[in-house]
Amino acid sequence: MARARKRRPVLFSSVYLKTLRDYRVAILGWGIGMGLVIVSPMASVGTLINTPAARATLATLAAQFAWNAEPVAAGTVGGYATFKIGIFIFLMAVWPLLAASRMLRGEEETGSLDVLLSLPRTRLQVALQKVAAMWTALLVMAAVIGGLAYLGGVAFKGDFNLIDGWLFGLNLALFCAVIGGVALVISQFTLERGTAAGVTGGLLLVFIVVDMVHRVIPNTDWFSHVSPIYYYNLSKPLIPSYGTSAGGMFLMLALAAVLTTAAIALFARRDIGDAVRVPGLGGFARPQPASRALPERDWSLGSVYARSLATIAAPTFWWTLGIAGFAAWMVVVVQQLVGKLDTLLASSPNASVALNALKNIGGGGNALTATFLGAMFELLPVLLMAFAITQVGRWSSDTDNGRLEIILSTPQPRVAVLLGRFGALATATVVIGVLTLLASALAAAIAGVTLDSVNLAEATLGMLPLGLLMAATGYLASGWLRSAAETGLISFLLAGWFFLSFVGPDLKWPEVALRLSPFYYYGTPLLHGLQFANLAVVVVIAAVSLAVASLRFSRKDMSP
Amino acid sequence: MTAPIIEIDKLTKSYGGKRGIVDVSLEISEGEVFGFLGPNGAGKTTTIRILMALLRADGGRAQIAGLDAWDKSVEVKRLIGYVPGEPSLDNNLTGGQILEYFAHLRGGVDKAYLKTLIERFDLDTSRKFRQYSTGNKRKVVLIQAFMHRPRVLILDEPTSGLDPLNQQEFDGMVREARDDGRTVFLSSHVLSEVEKTCTRVGIIRDGRLVRIGGVAELKDIKRYEITIHFARPVPADAFARLEGVSDVEWLGDGSAVRLAMQGSADAVIKAAALHPVVSLTSDEPSLEDIFLRYYEGDGQGPKEAAGVV
Repeated sequence: MARARKRRPVLFSSVYLKTLRDYRVAILGWGIGMGLVIVSPMASVGTLINTPAARATLATLAAQFAWNAEPVAAGTVGGYATFKIGIFIFLMAVWPLLAASRMLRGEEETGSLDVLLSLPRTRLQVALQKVAAMWTALLVMAAVIGGLAYLGGVAFKGDFNLIDGWLFGLNLALFCAVIGGVALVISQFTLERGTAAGVTGGLLLVFIVVDMVHRVIPNTDWFSHVSPIYYYNLSKPLIPSYGTSAGGMFLMLALAAVLTTAAIALFARRDIGDAVRVPGLGGFARPQPASRALPERDWSLGSVYARSLATIAAPTFWWTLGIAGFAAWMVVVVQQLVGKLDTLLASSPNASVALNALKNIGGGGNALTATFLGAMFELLPVLLMAFAITQVGRWSSDTDNGRLEIILSTPQPRVAVLLGRFGALATATVVIGVLTLLASALAAAIAGVTLDSVNLAEATLGMLPLGLLMAATGYLASGWLRSAAETGLISFLLAGWFFLSFVGPDLKWPEVALRLSPFYYYGTPLLHGLQFANLAVVVVIAAVSLAVASLRFSRKDMSP
Repeated sequence: MTAPIIEIDKLTKSYGGKRGIVDVSLEISEGEVFGFLGPNGAGKTTTIRILMALLRADGGRAQIAGLDAWDKSVEVKRLIGYVPGEPSLDNNLTGGQILEYFAHLRGGVDKAYLKTLIERFDLDTSRKFRQYSTGNKRKVVLIQAFMHRPRVLILDEPTSGLDPLNQQEFDGMVREARDDGRTVFLSSHVLSEVEKTCTRVGIIRDGRLVRIGGVAELKDIKRYEITIHFARPVPADAFARLEGVSDVEWLGDGSAVRLAMQGSADAVIKAAALHPVVSLTSDEPSLEDIFLRYYEGDGQGPKEAAGVV
């Protein structure tokens, strides 16, 4: 009798394959998503370069936006896409940042690494297989992104081939591997993956700004060499005339390898569940004597709201620094850019058309400083909404992990617990908004930039409803979805809304489609002030979302 | 009999198509210490989580102090101290911060009593939750459940991870709660603990309550063993057909017999008295034995336990 052969589940046969299996959705989702991000600017370039004059103007105008990216062959499909992606490189790095933070530290937090390390394998083997899986995932993503870039080039008449597309993907993957390596190293020094991800995210912003410096301030190339993004930008494979820098790519590969090796070496030597102790930073602090005292005067322990506020304080500080800092920086550098733009606009009839396209979401007006700043300020609500996503993720993760169970055993209505958490997040967004307003106003005063103070207040404070909308949507989604799915969904929603407003106007999409994005209702407040009727739409949707989220939370079964 | 403080009537819950609990009914009087026993996945935690309004029942009713556990959950939770089966707390808070936080959420507690509990468990409140051992984490969770002297304590496997010394402390706290007239609903796998602390026990299996009764009453349905040594061999059929004897095993040359018993031993004692007895020993079953019997794979447990003792 023929013996029935038992099928061996291949993807569970090694740590490497199991980890790769865990990444399967990300490979596809992130690969395709990021591929479409690259392709979307290609779709709009045709309308901008339909005449040689327009092409020349676009190229010249792009030079004024060098802070965003080096404008090389901006009048071509590949050049325009490379330029337009610019600082949005941070979007690409989000996945490796999260995956690397979770890889070892996240598994330690859940305790699953204890079980894995009880198997007859060395720590080195386990860590290497996990890293190898992540690098493999990045390579597959690179292939998908490169393939989609190539298809975009074919569709919109780009002059680069499939190899160029793949080199573009590979360059991106190498940069992502560096960021993953940074996250992996940092996660050896933190006790939580969230902290590692947060610190790496902060460093990523620093890398972006450091790379930006040499394009804004002359003779500062040496300074930008510190940023890995500088080496990423050395290659522009979608611009065949510019090509690929083997040196830059090799340097990123070497950097990723060094960082990863360092992280694995630290991991192999430290206690599982503990962080690497740094002398002088509390690592060798004298042990505290045992105490039975209670912190009776700690303000943060008085209510769910106060506790949530204390929890959210540190990320709020860093995000405020980032958002308010970005706004202030824009105000400071706007003067010199506007001077050049003024000359250009006076000399070229096509420039205003191109300018509108470059600043993405529209605007316009007589005050060029405000026009330019208006475009830049439209990035602020995006950042605030990203902040909201990270904080809603904490709520859904608490719900998943049973962290609310004992809180819900106290005589607190469920709705009060949810609103306490939401209230803390709302307070944090208000703090970010107000400090962004103060930082912008201060920067304007110092740099001598004249801005309409009412419009400035409306631009900075008007982004609050958008942040709250994002938060309410997240709370709503977490009523049905588990943490990872909830975060994925609302991140996708934010990306969708952003690109609707980013690409939609270029593609002459109908107004009804543009209205699907909350950025439409935010408008261009720095130029035209807030349209309060429009903003009321956002407020109403946020309120309804929060009401439904509260209703759902008050009736749902809590995860065991 | 005191009025029931916990009333569960035909409580049913399923997860998608998967069985949770089915028609579970029981009443627990005020001042009672009730042990809820069952293997993993039997439905203990589901029952407890419905009482705590963490889950909503598909059918049936759960009331505490006459209040519906779901509709009046806030009022109900004023009366309750709760230890979840898998406690999860903020890792970044110290034990002291956690206790202070929950004291506030409960509207304030007697700080002197709270400090007594901290002393009793010898808890270092200055360490972060993540730095605690499993046992110390459990201490924090236990203290937060007892600190407001709740009228009802609902404890899901409360001593898991505690060392014997602290288990003893916990047993003492349960006894004190009982002496104060408070009610304890306790699920456990540690049967000796249930035997020591509980007045009544319910056994749940495959989502159904298969037995409920006093600890002593449960022992009455025991299968116990009697071993009798005689001065000389006795006839082999002397005990086989006696009432209460379910199995007979002759030892040695026939001068000793081991009898598996259920119910009264009166007939056996009278039959043994017809012969010269050297010694007679009876082995009392532990609750463990009874418990295991209900979970034997033969499916006999539910049949035997059709009625409440």
